[in-house]
Amino acid sequence: MIRQPNVILGNDELLVTMGRKGEILGMFYPRRDHAQHVEESIACIHTGERLLWTNDNEWHSIQNYIEDTNIVSTKLYHDSGIRISILDLVHPDVPVLIRRFKIQSQQKISGKFFYYSNFDVGETSKKNSGFCDSEARLLAQYWQDYYIGIYALPEFTEWQVGKAMDTIWWTNSKYDMEDGKLQRNKEDIGNINNAAGWDLHLEADGANEFVIFIGAASSRSLLYKRMRELSKLPLEHIFEKTREYWVMWLSKKHVLKMPGIEGYNNLRQELLNAYNRALLMLYLLNDHENGSFVAAPEFDSNFEKCGGYGFCWNRDASELVLALKHSGYPEYCDGFFKWCIRTQLPDGSWFQRYWLDGNIAPSWGNFDYSTQIDETGSTLHAMDVYYRILEGLKKVEFLEEVWVSVLRAAEYLMKRTKSGLHESCMDLWETYYGIFTYTNSSIYAGLMGASHLAEENGESGMARRWKKRAEFIKQATIDRFWLQEGYFAKGIIHEKLDKTMDASVLGAYMPFGMLSPKDPVERDMILFLIENIQKKLSIPINSGYGIKRYENDTYIDGNPWIVTTLWLSEAMFAFALDLPEGEQGQYAEEAKKLISEGIKCLRWALAGATSTGLLPEQVDKSTGKPAWAIPLGWSGSLMLDNIILFDKICRRNAGSHE
Amino acid sequence: MVRDLCMFAGFNEDSRIVWFKITYSKGPGSLSVITDFLEKENVFIKFGHIDNITQDTGEYSIFTELKKDVDIEELAHKIEGLEVVRAVEHGISEFGMIYSVDFPLNVIGVRGVMARSLTIVDIIKTLNQSVPHAEGLLTLSGLRGGSHAAKYFKSIMPINDSNFASMIAELYRAVGWGILEIDCNPETYEGKIIVKDSFIADVYGSSDQPVCAFMSGYFAGYLTEYFGKNISVREVSCKATGKSVCEHIISLAPSSPGQEQQLRGEIK
Repeated sequence: MIRQPNVILGNDELLVTMGRKGEILGMFYPRRDHAQHVEESIACIHTGERLLWTNDNEWHSIQNYIEDTNIVSTKLYHDSGIRISILDLVHPDVPVLIRRFKIQSQQKISGKFFYYSNFDVGETSKKNSGFCDSEARLLAQYWQDYYIGIYALPEFTEWQVGKAMDTIWWTNSKYDMEDGKLQRNKEDIGNINNAAGWDLHLEADGANEFVIFIGAASSRSLLYKRMRELSKLPLEHIFEKTREYWVMWLSKKHVLKMPGIEGYNNLRQELLNAYNRALLMLYLLNDHENGSFVAAPEFDSNFEKCGGYGFCWNRDASELVLALKHSGYPEYCDGFFKWCIRTQLPDGSWFQRYWLDGNIAPSWGNFDYSTQIDETGSTLHAMDVYYRILEGLKKVEFLEEVWVSVLRAAEYLMKRTKSGLHESCMDLWETYYGIFTYTNSSIYAGLMGASHLAEENGESGMARRWKKRAEFIKQATIDRFWLQEGYFAKGIIHEKLDKTMDASVLGAYMPFGMLSPKDPVERDMILFLIENIQKKLSIPINSGYGIKRYENDTYIDGNPWIVTTLWLSEAMFAFALDLPEGEQGQYAEEAKKLISEGIKCLRWALAGATSTGLLPEQVDKSTGKPAWAIPLGWSGSLMLDNIILFDKICRRNAGSHE
Repeated sequence: MVRDLCMFAGFNEDSRIVWFKITYSKGPGSLSVITDFLEKENVFIKFGHIDNITQDTGEYSIFTELKKDVDIEELAHKIEGLEVVRAVEHGISEFGMIYSVDFPLNVIGVRGVMARSLTIVDIIKTLNQSVPHAEGLLTLSGLRGGSHAAKYFKSIMPINDSNFASMIAELYRAVGWGILEIDCNPETYEGKIIVKDSFIADVYGSSDQPVCAFMSGYFAGYLTEYFGKNISVREVSCKATGKSVCEHIISLAPSSPGQEQQLRGEIK
């Protein structure tokens, strides 16, 4: 079942995804990609007459993060006058989700508060085992060395452990709650579920509070110890510690100033919030042990409608780590490039996608014709960009560390580009086989980067050879793919030139720099590209327009994407910055127009975020709501890049005023 | 369900199935005025239903088959012109396959649909072939429906030990699910249900295992809601396994086992 989250939270070991009503949709431990232990985990109230599931349509919700943290506040309102405030946080040091439920009602209630869970511990519903230790008041479920447990304050007074999907339906905890009391079965095996219950006696306008700890551990004893120790700490203390952790982490960020944008209604604050949120989100997508990132928390693990997102793609992660570096977090580059060295294939390329621990992931790109060569180009390009930023000893050490990997990757690209264009492979959208502008651009950037690194490493012969090939690729791409209409063709598909307008051709400028605005001809080409993408791929929604991937895109209804829209704005900002300075100069008007359009794109992207500010992959073209993968790391990294560029523009403009 | 008049007819390229819902003032002879008029207009009623809306107002719904050249709008207008008639609604089924006066259909208080048995059995078969715990899943699906049925009956009429069985039997027959013989002791909660012509077993084809878990669940939901106790219903023989009828055994669900075992393992 595909269920998209509205919010995520976690720490280094735990990643939790939730719906807009505070229902848990996913709980990943100990890695972001594996294992996902939750099928359902949700609170409900028995009013004395009936069950009110808190994810029912009868509830209205308001959900947001506590400012500058990954702590979540969810407020639920029921038509009958019941109100539930949920505070969710994950302790920074241990993989335990702490959920505080504060229940208020306008009318007297004499019923029950239940917390129901259907865990698939170890990401399987098979061979699970569950029990309730009534002495320790701990509900636990385990499979091999994965243990998930529930403890609560006050302690629950009743419970049920039963079969989740069996003909002996009366043991099923979900049904057991319906009569308002639980049977207290202590243990069961197989596909099981559980419920904990408390008396709920509320006077009119009274309130009750329940704190639920959902913890993960690798052994039974560790689970017990964690829950026991954590429950001794006052919630206020845990809250403060968690809040402080996130605020401190954010304090390392590159500081934005964005002077001179007071005229734009609240834009500064919107961008500051988006900047912080993107950073906090990327923290949660990163595997802190291995250095890799999930593209998005997995929400289609059965690959029902797509190939899944809970894996690491070099293409996405290369952009993520550079954005984090520019934002003040260089350690993510270190971690990721170490991971790249470890995961590089024997032929020098990188695989389509990986599990976060470096194992190759389920793929439809196992062969030379189906691999995605752009991922190797992107990785090399990112290594060089990072190297250029480094200074002193760190620079020397990094080059020493990556050199062999660079050499192998560059030679792989040489092998696949003998004719000037790359050999047939799969495109970045993982849909078409052929030869593509985007892929050629990324290879160009990869080889140019490798050439620079070779030069720095004293290998001038290699440097020359790689640079020469890069220039050959650039010329061949322009010769073969540039169209009179003023844009690059998508590529060659089925041996025919495919003139479909594809937003990824912008990659020739951003991020791969194959076209330079410093060259007058190429400057015009970039401007044509920007104009044509706007003209041909804009979809109006949310009082603005977003950019879809390409003409006739049918993936998930052909919605506009945040990534493609932010590519466009990034190109606009970068181009404006690259134009010669001066308010009175011949390019001033052009720059002003581009910046203004770029801001519109940024605002459009923010309007498509969840209520908690998470950027999705797409925006629904009919409703304007966030669509498909939520949150998408790539969208977040492009938001960071855009905001940093915009900050530079503001600073430059302020400087010229001064 | 009486509101849901439906008509199935073979396709006839010269004619159309037409329905009229005529709201009329009740009075001596008023219905005759309508039927006489229809006869005069060569509108021969194939299927009709009379419903009392209020003391003064009635609703007469009819299905008829009319030649394609008949102006239906004009005919409806003429009917509406009768002194006893207050309002006329009408509809046309061009292809004569199925048409209902009221859309959507209503079955025991909620929207219903018609489907071929095979359509539902195809879903059940797919689940059985592809989904783990399919029998449990089907039981739980049925449980919801049975529980709803009992709640609905309770809300519209007194339900007691003398009629709870006949009510569900009537429902099964009405919706075409099967013919029930129910023998259930309300004091011991034990008994059995024989299902003749189960819509599932009838079209499922031969099977080694009973296939009517959905119905077992439905019975369990119905009886649990009625008795207020968890009731287990198991299908012990099934027409799909070669028996002449399907048989479901009713019993009180067992309560939880003893709770006092020591927790074993590394924690103690």
